[in-house]
Amino acid sequence: MKSLVIIPAFNEEENIEKVVEKIKSYGYDYLVINDCSSDNTANILKKNKYNHLDLSVNVGLAGVTRIGFMYGYDNDYDCIINVDGDGQHPVDKVNLLVEEIEKGYDYVVGSRFVTDKKPFSLRMIGSRLICGLIKLKTGKTVYDPTSGMRALGRKVIEEFSKGMNYYAEPDALCHILKKGYKVKEVQVEMLERQGGVSYFASPFKTVKYMVAEILSILFVQW
Amino acid sequence: MNNLQTLLLVVSVLVLVFVLWNIIKNQMNIRYAIIWILWAIGMVVISLFPSIMLWVTNILGIQTQSNAVFLITIFLLYILTFYLYLRISKNNEEITILNYEIASLKKLLEDKKDE
Repeated sequence: MKSLVIIPAFNEEENIEKVVEKIKSYGYDYLVINDCSSDNTANILKKNKYNHLDLSVNVGLAGVTRIGFMYGYDNDYDCIINVDGDGQHPVDKVNLLVEEIEKGYDYVVGSRFVTDKKPFSLRMIGSRLICGLIKLKTGKTVYDPTSGMRALGRKVIEEFSKGMNYYAEPDALCHILKKGYKVKEVQVEMLERQGGVSYFASPFKTVKYMVAEILSILFVQW
Repeated sequence: MNNLQTLLLVVSVLVLVFVLWNIIKNQMNIRYAIIWILWAIGMVVISLFPSIMLWVTNILGIQTQSNAVFLITIFLLYILTFYLYLRISKNNEEITILNYEIASLKKLLEDKKDE
């Protein structure tokens, strides 16, 4: 089975070598997508001869993810794994996800709460709300709809590379369930953030994200 | 013709000239220009014959003419803005696809050079 790890990179000159070397050490095919970084990222990628795409225009994380799916589809990969560039996702657990794809699942999520209990923080209340909406819409129970660590099988790769609304995890998951694909959640422990600031540090962005997800699950994803 | 009507007429003619001049000078695609030309002509016509608005107001059953004007204008602007959003979304999609195509070609070229 041909598997591809996609690594979005925007101004990651400090981390990118570390991240890529780690993924290479596990023997996965990978693709770094440089989203028109203004720092030295492009040169580092070129110097090390990493497998990468250099975008001409900055398109943001959503666009980068989508381009990763397009590349995977065009190059006949059977499995794509999304791993965040900030080091929170455990690279050594990627094989657990790939194994499930090999078993015939279409969409596998690296989930924090399959066996572990979900805490009652403000953020997890948001997570519960999304779980509830997905349950309402699809009748299926999910534990960690916001997890960004996921593996996609061939059919899902094709669909995601052709549609524009599948970059955010919760509503993409809702769409996948609705369509009747086989979904599995695998327990993984996320690591502490190794640098940078969370997207959800800003209350405004958090509200925007929640509103977008709720509306998307309720009205857009069928 | 009272002062207000004269003022409205002058302004709407100026708007029509402004719109046409810009469409020609900046080479706006005719498909996008149609709505603006029609709207500008409409404004000139209504300034010349305000009774049209009175007629419309009565048909709609709105009490004052100004309210009818506001309602219709806001509705048109709403639709127009929505259409713009639709276009922007489509353009975004196209940019992403082109971006991918260009990056792929660059990669292919780079890989060829390395061989």
